[in-house]
Amino acid sequence: MIKFLSLLFFLVSNSIFPVLEIEILKGSDNLSKVAFVPFGIESGIEENYGSQISKNIEKNMLLFGEFENLAVNEMLSYPSSENDFYYRDWKVLGVDYSLIGKVNSVNALGNLNISYSLFNINRRIKILEGEIVGSEDNIEGISKIISNRIYEEITGLRGIFDTKIAYVINSDADTYQMCISDIDGKNEQILFTSKAPIMSPDWSPDRKKIAYVSFENGLAEIFIQDLQSGERDSIQALGMTNSAPVWSPDGKSLALVVSFSGNPDIFLYSMNNKRLMRLTNHYGIDTEPSWSPDSKKIIFTSDRSGSPQLYEINTKSKRKKRLTRDGNYNARGRYFPDGKSIFFVHGNDGNFQIATKKLSSRYIETLTSTSLDESPTISPNGNIIIYATKDGSNGYLGGITLDGKSRFSLPVKSGSVREPAWSPLLN
Amino acid sequence: MEPIGIFILAMICQVYSCAANVSDSVERMQYASVAGEEYLQGDRLETNLDDKVYFDFDKSILDAEDKSLLEQYLPEIKKAKIVRLEGHCDERGTREYNLALGERRALEVRDFLIVKGVSGKKIRVVSFGEEKPLKSASNEKAWAENRRVEISLY
Repeated sequence: MIKFLSLLFFLVSNSIFPVLEIEILKGSDNLSKVAFVPFGIESGIEENYGSQISKNIEKNMLLFGEFENLAVNEMLSYPSSENDFYYRDWKVLGVDYSLIGKVNSVNALGNLNISYSLFNINRRIKILEGEIVGSEDNIEGISKIISNRIYEEITGLRGIFDTKIAYVINSDADTYQMCISDIDGKNEQILFTSKAPIMSPDWSPDRKKIAYVSFENGLAEIFIQDLQSGERDSIQALGMTNSAPVWSPDGKSLALVVSFSGNPDIFLYSMNNKRLMRLTNHYGIDTEPSWSPDSKKIIFTSDRSGSPQLYEINTKSKRKKRLTRDGNYNARGRYFPDGKSIFFVHGNDGNFQIATKKLSSRYIETLTSTSLDESPTISPNGNIIIYATKDGSNGYLGGITLDGKSRFSLPVKSGSVREPAWSPLLN
Repeated sequence: MEPIGIFILAMICQVYSCAANVSDSVERMQYASVAGEEYLQGDRLETNLDDKVYFDFDKSILDAEDKSLLEQYLPEIKKAKIVRLEGHCDERGTREYNLALGERRALEVRDFLIVKGVSGKKIRVVSFGEEKPLKSASNEKAWAENRRVEISLY
């Protein structure tokens, strides 16, 4: 059932400038202040490696507006080892955490050995100490690993600096591009360019493939593209329209929508034996499936009550439960990584905004304040939502941290960007 | 409309008559995969009649005005070899839901045409959801123009 397609249109382009760049719109007044002290270097090592690494870490940590930094020229001292570290130098500047480090040795193969320590100034203790060996060609990668570790230590949440984002760019009326980039906008790759619309990207759990919908043959079809080889396979799930593919947490199947003669229902498609299993069977519209983190349930949108509302269905018992009742438009639901809450698009008084709801409560909380918000995607640590919205005739991406500390936007230089999909973590 | 010269409408199938009992096995659903039918954009028939009907937000119902418009169009529709119905939505709400809603709208038109004696076999239905708006502005007027089914004859 899977048809192999030739790769005429596949190209990978690494843009020099990031297409997406995060702009912080609103930071909170009481963010934790972190001092990223330029790392020391052992003699014989390229001089700027030390400051390059600490600058990269600083940039990562500030990316989503979750922290405040101390400017390097305001620092009273520049320690690179614990012996030279004095808490009072940081306490007096209102610093909450200080990161110091040293690039220790480089061997003939160009390997660097970087040691680092993180101090909690208020508690006057060292809270993290680490060492990492990596190639000097991969200073960005090394910096991301250290950033993840200190983010985890400070917040208690998984670091997300080595995650990626997929999105669709509509640069003019007849050009659609399926793109991925690092979460900071760097290393953009164009996976596929088409003259017909592209929709609904979703990452495989191993981050090796993207499923999406393309109209290249005149109607909605689901494709799976391998990111390494660029190979594209179409899923011939039949019916009139195939849409809204989402990978199961184990990567072995897709939940998707097949419409037979205009009756879209949710199906499960096994990647192994290519078999299609029906999950819903209703004359209304059933679409926008998404898996619960434990794989046991699927949330979906249905208009069976007369307006789009969210439901969940147990994939084994097929028992269904209505999840939303307030408002006449609640659609495209997704579970939080802990499975206890959902986020979705909530229509209210003609505005369409991103909202959340605990499964255990009826109360819907609206997160965004623009009026055409859609396609929300959550960071794998459950703390940040990025969504698509529109300003004038151009679509851009907006973001918000769920602790309310920061709002940011990811504009594109030209055209419209839409349908963000946050990658899973690399495990 | 589409810049691509050839539409390969491989899976736009005439299963409306037999869709009621869809089995759970993909093998048994192969009936739906009718042979692809290709036709050229250049073969489109010229017509003087309005080729669009419009809908209310989140609705796929044809009102009396739409129906009388389609009735005026009937003689030409009956003469055409292929009737292509393309459903669209405005940008509000979610993309995948709108894809389904656009299909609903096109099918509403198809069902009306069948009732009026047009052969279902020559009708091709496709939805673009909110992906191909006529107007890119975000206001009531643009949204009203974008919630449409486009009818083209070949």
